[in-house]
Amino acid sequence: MRISTTTFFNAGLTGILNQQSAMLKTQQQLSSGLAVATPSDNPIAAVQALDTQQNESLNTQYTTNRGTAEDQLGLVDTTLSSVGTLLQSASTIAVAAGNATLSNSDRASYATQLSGQLQQLLGLANTKNGEGQYLFSGYQGNTQPFAQTTAGANYAGDDGQRLIQVSPSQQIAVSESGADIFQKIRSGNGSFTTGASGTNTGQGVINAGSVTNPAALTGDNYQINFTVAGGVTTYDVLDTTKGTTVQSAQPFTSGNAISFDGMQMQISGAPANGDQFTVAPSTNQSVFTTLTNLINALNTPASTPATLASIQNQVTAGIQNLSQSLSNVLAANSAVGARQNQLTSLDTVGTSLDTQYQQQLSNLTSVNYAQAASTLNEQQLSLEAAQKSFAQVDGLSLFNYLTG
Amino acid sequence: MPDLLNIGISGLNATMTQLVTTGNNISNASTPGYSRQEVDLQPSTPQYTGTGFLGSGVEVDAVKRDYSTFLTTQVQQATAESSQSSTYYNQIQQLDNMLGSTTSGLAPALQNFFSGVQTVANDPSDVPSRQALISSAQSMISTFQGMSQQITAMGQGLNNQIAASVTNINSYAQQLAQLNQSIVSAQGADGNNPPNSLLDQRDQVVQQLNQEVQGTVVKQSDGSYNIYIGNGIPLVVGNLAYSLTTMTSPTDPGSAEVGYGPPGKQVVLGTNSITGGNLGGVLQFRNNSLIPAQNALGQIAIGVASTFNAQNSLGQDLNGNIGGNIFTIPAPVVGVNSNNTGTGVVNAAITNAGALTTSDYSLSYNGANYQLTRLSDNSVTTFAAFPQTVDGVTLTLASGVIKPGDTFLISPTENGASGLAMATTDVSKIAAAAPILGSAGFSNTGSATISAGTVNGPPPVNANLQQPVTITFTGAGTFSVTGVGTGNPVGVAYTSGNNISYNGWTVQISGTPAAGDTFTVSPNTNGSADSRNALLLAGLQTQNTLNNGSATYEGAYDQLTSSVGNQTDELQVTSQAQQSMLTQAQASQQSVSGVNLDEEAANLIRFQESYQACGKMVQIADTCFQSLITAAQ
Repeated sequence: MRISTTTFFNAGLTGILNQQSAMLKTQQQLSSGLAVATPSDNPIAAVQALDTQQNESLNTQYTTNRGTAEDQLGLVDTTLSSVGTLLQSASTIAVAAGNATLSNSDRASYATQLSGQLQQLLGLANTKNGEGQYLFSGYQGNTQPFAQTTAGANYAGDDGQRLIQVSPSQQIAVSESGADIFQKIRSGNGSFTTGASGTNTGQGVINAGSVTNPAALTGDNYQINFTVAGGVTTYDVLDTTKGTTVQSAQPFTSGNAISFDGMQMQISGAPANGDQFTVAPSTNQSVFTTLTNLINALNTPASTPATLASIQNQVTAGIQNLSQSLSNVLAANSAVGARQNQLTSLDTVGTSLDTQYQQQLSNLTSVNYAQAASTLNEQQLSLEAAQKSFAQVDGLSLFNYLTG
Repeated sequence: MPDLLNIGISGLNATMTQLVTTGNNISNASTPGYSRQEVDLQPSTPQYTGTGFLGSGVEVDAVKRDYSTFLTTQVQQATAESSQSSTYYNQIQQLDNMLGSTTSGLAPALQNFFSGVQTVANDPSDVPSRQALISSAQSMISTFQGMSQQITAMGQGLNNQIAASVTNINSYAQQLAQLNQSIVSAQGADGNNPPNSLLDQRDQVVQQLNQEVQGTVVKQSDGSYNIYIGNGIPLVVGNLAYSLTTMTSPTDPGSAEVGYGPPGKQVVLGTNSITGGNLGGVLQFRNNSLIPAQNALGQIAIGVASTFNAQNSLGQDLNGNIGGNIFTIPAPVVGVNSNNTGTGVVNAAITNAGALTTSDYSLSYNGANYQLTRLSDNSVTTFAAFPQTVDGVTLTLASGVIKPGDTFLISPTENGASGLAMATTDVSKIAAAAPILGSAGFSNTGSATISAGTVNGPPPVNANLQQPVTITFTGAGTFSVTGVGTGNPVGVAYTSGNNISYNGWTVQISGTPAAGDTFTVSPNTNGSADSRNALLLAGLQTQNTLNNGSATYEGAYDQLTSSVGNQTDELQVTSQAQQSMLTQAQASQQSVSGVNLDEEAANLIRFQESYQACGKMVQIADTCFQSLITAAQ
């Protein structure tokens, strides 16, 4: 094929230009460290890199979120522990105050101690976190949850539980509502409460009782009515909800078990004729109410044996309710602990994910220095060869050989 | 008897012509478009003598150029194609670079925005966090606007390029018309003396024309070239040149189009008519890459803004009010064709951001039905009356009458990115809380619990959403509901964990309730620490909200990036391939028409020797004559 002079030069020149442009590209890769500088270099890798980046950014965000959650939960944990310790000490005082041989002033001094603890408990219940938000007010972070009343305390918050997104699929609660911790505590033994009527004249003291057969529970209200006739004490058990008599004219021995409808309780002491004891299903009672009732009971002077028995009945009920409150708080505290553990293990996963994403990103977009350097060498060689051959060929012309 | 002198002189003339032609070739060796010229020699008419025919010398028949129509046409076509793909490639590289940045692109802006939402969710009543969210929203908007402006600027650049190409094409057309005229008159009646340099010049102009747009040459019998572009649109006919114009698009005042025709009756030449060359590359880039990219960016912007607005409108803000819009969403662009004869005004509104596409739409009326054509795949929706909703856009006829033949160009997402704005910068308007809260009655004896509650979308919320509602259990398995708007049903069957929905909210009650237990759903007053809605707002980032539930915002952006990246990659390969084809075609053409200096050097020697020989012949003829004169004395 005939080659024109123009084609000759163009071919050589094009070779040199192409080599130069390839070398420039390799040089840019080496200096920027990126093999994928624009999406067109490797469209699939570019998109995967964008995805990996988003995942990494989300992962970092969740780590930050977990930090916030840990801080909040830490504060809740500490506060609940303090509440638990307080309730335990209150229980100890209540048990001591139940001693029948105490004088009025002894009981009154116990009442004072309990008063102090009531104030402390209110203070703990109204704890604020570092941002000035109340811990136990549900969603109403700016509202003080508890205000003392004559009967106990009023709850001004709501039932909300604050949540934080700690992983792509998990939200963790970082608060407990004051209602759940302090207000909604099952009274009595959790299934039923026992009590003595205020008009009793005898000295019977009823204990908290227990459930012997959960399947037989009816949830009804009962009355145990005592009749003392001719030195013989008997009692009837009436179901006041249904209006039926469950047991009648049972012989009474102090301290013996009284059982009916899956429940069992004991009355000790000597009830008088016409004394009544009540059994009712458990309801929710606030721990503040429990403490207030205890304080009021201990402040009452025991002028008669009947009054003493009444005080003792209330103290028994109080001790039972305090025990329920303590269990409630401990349960909540351990739930908080479990969540803190969850956060720790999520943190571990998050750290290893972060490393993984960094690695992935680097694999996708970073340049392989060894490879790029050797490619650059190759291209340099090719460029030199193209330039040299161009120079050599350039000088060849027939005109050089024509003389004359 | 032929005269030796005359034969010698004819030989001298002939070889001198050859030397001159060779000299011409050598001096024009690097002239673009030059075809190598050769002298055609013919022996002169021989004389008949008694002893037979005696040759009488040589005559120059013609000086012709070495030229192959086929190869030249090949080069012209290859030029048009190569020019188109390299122009397209150069343009799309700018787009590619803009989209792929991992530090300054859209991806980091979106991530920062949602980070801000998560921070608010962690502490909803914290004002600095809310302020930071507003700031990152504003920064996200600037990123959208910045990228959109870059694309618009590219579009402006394209308009200028179109104008420049059209000017060049018109100038080439003029030149070709004049050359046609010159060639026809210079060629003479018999066409035997081709005006070689004019012919070369004309081919060169055609080549330059093909750089701008593909022009097909049809050779006429009188030697002139007729040039047609596109599907047979005449540009040059004989010595008449038609011109193209740069006109504003009838449906889009911001775009320039190529126009053709007499003034007042201009027709737009679209991408079907203009192929090849710079002009073809520019038009293809605009239609196939630039407009879709602008629309895709807009789709993402509108998607983020409308889903965020919608979720915010289901929540409760810091002032205790139901949330409103945080972003202002720009409306679709409706371009009315300036040639419309009717008075119809069409309004378009976005009613479902999740169903939007990245395509533009063309609305036309044929007298009986309206047709909406989706320009990306040419699929048509036919309908008889307004309003009509297609792909998330609702079209209404606001006023006037549409006449048959009227067209409208509807671009739903074109201004999505550039027109996005904050509707409010008031930090308290971010609705982090939910408006309602479920609670269990204090004196409940059963063990059932109630969830906090969610608000049912889409907005606006039910008018009775915040009416207090009480659910009372009449037995362990049935409950009754009291509250405005619930209809106060009784005896509703209870299944633990099932959804219970009234007045636009949904709660779940789980566990075992006892008879007499109550649960209430009431307004979430003072719920400043409630982050339920903020968590849902943050969750939008990972939900498939776009493209009919198949892509997240980042996913849609990924699609745009990879589509442009792939196109760029393809174009790089294509333009390299076409460049090689052009080089080859040029080499083939040059092998016929190109000058090889070595060859000309050899020819110089040959013709020089011939000249010397002919000169010697003249000398000998003179010597013979001299001898004759001397002999006669």
